[in-house]
Amino acid sequence: MNQRLFANRRLMLAALMLAIVALLRAAPAAAEPYLAVLEGYKCNVCHVNPTGGGLRNAFGLTYAKVLLPAETLDNALDSWDGKLTDRLRVGGDLRADWTRVTAPHTSSQQAFALEQFRVYADLTLIPDRLGIYVDEQIAPNGSQNEEAYVRYGNTTDGFYVKGGQFYLPFGWRLQDQTAFVRQVTGINMTTPDKGVEVGYEHAAWSAQFDVTNGAANANTGSGYQVTTQVVYTKPIWRVGIAGSSTQSSAGDRRMGGLFAGLKTGPVAWLAEGDIVHDDSLGRSLVAGLLEGDWRLHKGHNLKLTAEYSDPDRSVRNNQQTRYSFVYEYTPLPFLQLRAGYRHNFGIPQNNQQHQQLILAELHGYF
Amino acid sequence: MKSFATAVRGTAVALCALLAAACAGNGEGLDANGRPLVPGGSPPPPLSADLQSIQENIFTPICSVCHAGGSAPEGLRLDAADSFNLLVGVPSTEVPSLLRVKPGDPDNSYIIQKLEGHAAVGAQMPFGCPNTQPCLTTSTIAFIRQWITNGAPPAAAAAAAVTAPLAVASIVPESTEPVSVPPPQVMVAFNHELDVSQLATHSMHFEKLAAGASPVVEQVAARIAVSSANLRALMIWPARPLAAGHYRLVVDATSSSRFSDIAGQTVALGTPDERGQAVISTFEVVP
Repeated sequence: MNQRLFANRRLMLAALMLAIVALLRAAPAAAEPYLAVLEGYKCNVCHVNPTGGGLRNAFGLTYAKVLLPAETLDNALDSWDGKLTDRLRVGGDLRADWTRVTAPHTSSQQAFALEQFRVYADLTLIPDRLGIYVDEQIAPNGSQNEEAYVRYGNTTDGFYVKGGQFYLPFGWRLQDQTAFVRQVTGINMTTPDKGVEVGYEHAAWSAQFDVTNGAANANTGSGYQVTTQVVYTKPIWRVGIAGSSTQSSAGDRRMGGLFAGLKTGPVAWLAEGDIVHDDSLGRSLVAGLLEGDWRLHKGHNLKLTAEYSDPDRSVRNNQQTRYSFVYEYTPLPFLQLRAGYRHNFGIPQNNQQHQQLILAELHGYF
Repeated sequence: MKSFATAVRGTAVALCALLAAACAGNGEGLDANGRPLVPGGSPPPPLSADLQSIQENIFTPICSVCHAGGSAPEGLRLDAADSFNLLVGVPSTEVPSLLRVKPGDPDNSYIIQKLEGHAAVGAQMPFGCPNTQPCLTTSTIAFIRQWITNGAPPAAAAAAAVTAPLAVASIVPESTEPVSVPPPQVMVAFNHELDVSQLATHSMHFEKLAAGASPVVEQVAARIAVSSANLRALMIWPARPLAAGHYRLVVDATSSSRFSDIAGQTVALGTPDERGQAVISTFEVVP
């Protein structure tokens, strides 16, 4: 009985600490940026990577153990804390799912699949100054390095520099890498690039400036991609602007994006609009996203998403839209269940632009 | 402050309604790939084991959505103009020991491994399959396998060009074309594979012109090369990046301007200027 009382006190203490840290480190994004909007956090509040996604830091893991799940276990704080040693922190995400995809006049496809198993590690060489970060996809299709960089500087308040391979900062870092805004821009969490990033974190401001090879220069080595992003975060709203320019023998590409988040009661709203111009193809593309996440209850989230894509602005009647309905249930720490439905709409003569998807996913994380 | 919050919420609701009301295109005047119909044009041919059919049924509508332009993943552009040159005989960037397409050997062609989902690295293609779009069916991939087994020949239009006399297919940048950034190189594409053993007999240089015309104010040395992955493309690299101004690419006076293919056909490159030197391309680097 005393042990239970003691455990409850520790949980209350942890919750109090979370609230205090949240207030001190007011207000975007992670692989689930709606959480950041709901709580008013910046990316670096919960993630080791200052631009979000990947390995959770001590605060992020405590949040995942105490505040995210429907049931908070009495011994939650005694469970996995992400640290192998004082200097080495590891984590991971495993997503296994069943999907059924149907499209007009074609037979449906359904399959169980291991969508992703990733592990992350961060080695602190000099506290708050020097570290090495690795994000490795273990499965499917064998091992593949996604991120590996050396980080120097203060990622919570001040300037920092990253050098190596990393994801580029551009818009919301969504969990759904196939979102129109992530496909059209070609910047998502499956397309790391090699180069350097200079970042700045202070109070409500986050900013990054990246010089990288650019995807189209993988073979030629003939140009660079410059990407920059600035985000201003307040407790119930935030706004960000991003731009990118790629010089390549394949043709130059310029991109601009605006994104914003707003909390209205238990609902987090995420919006993004991007425009992309490919010089060599003489085309401009537009993509938009509007997402509403309604936290019905602790551990329960209803995600509604509307997306828009115009693959070539000079061509009329070719736009595509996509609407998704996903229910996310996090019963326990480190475990999430997701189920959802998505309907695509496009030009009538293309069956694949009218796909419907039913999804059930098991997500384990640590 | 309260009115600001109300205004922001109102804006969010309006944005939501706007995006939800955004409709997909009705497809009027477009083909199945969403491209404008050409008057008198024909629909894509049924899928068969030749590149033109694979291009029109798979590469263009499915792959080139992402694999095109300046941000094509892994530098692989699969639009009709580039797919052959960037696939056949080109090492993959993810597993450089494997060619993207190894003529005659589909099992060791990286594209097959990516499409079938057993590549050593990276996700199965098309990206997102099977979760957000269908994977290519086994029977569809079989057509690509058969094309590779057949030696991965170029599309019928390109193959037909081989029977035509040796000629320049394109020059990038094109003459008189303004470019916003210095071009890393000038590319001259031919309709036949070049005889690379003759390459050492050619030399060129760039000339910077005063205000778009003569006189020449500066010369920049150039290096010429032909990629082993694509013997139809002659690449001319300036010795240093070109600053803003008007330029022309010129064949050295001591060098031959005639290029030959492996069958011995020759074609003269460029047009003679007032000094009798062959000018291949004239372009402007805009600041």
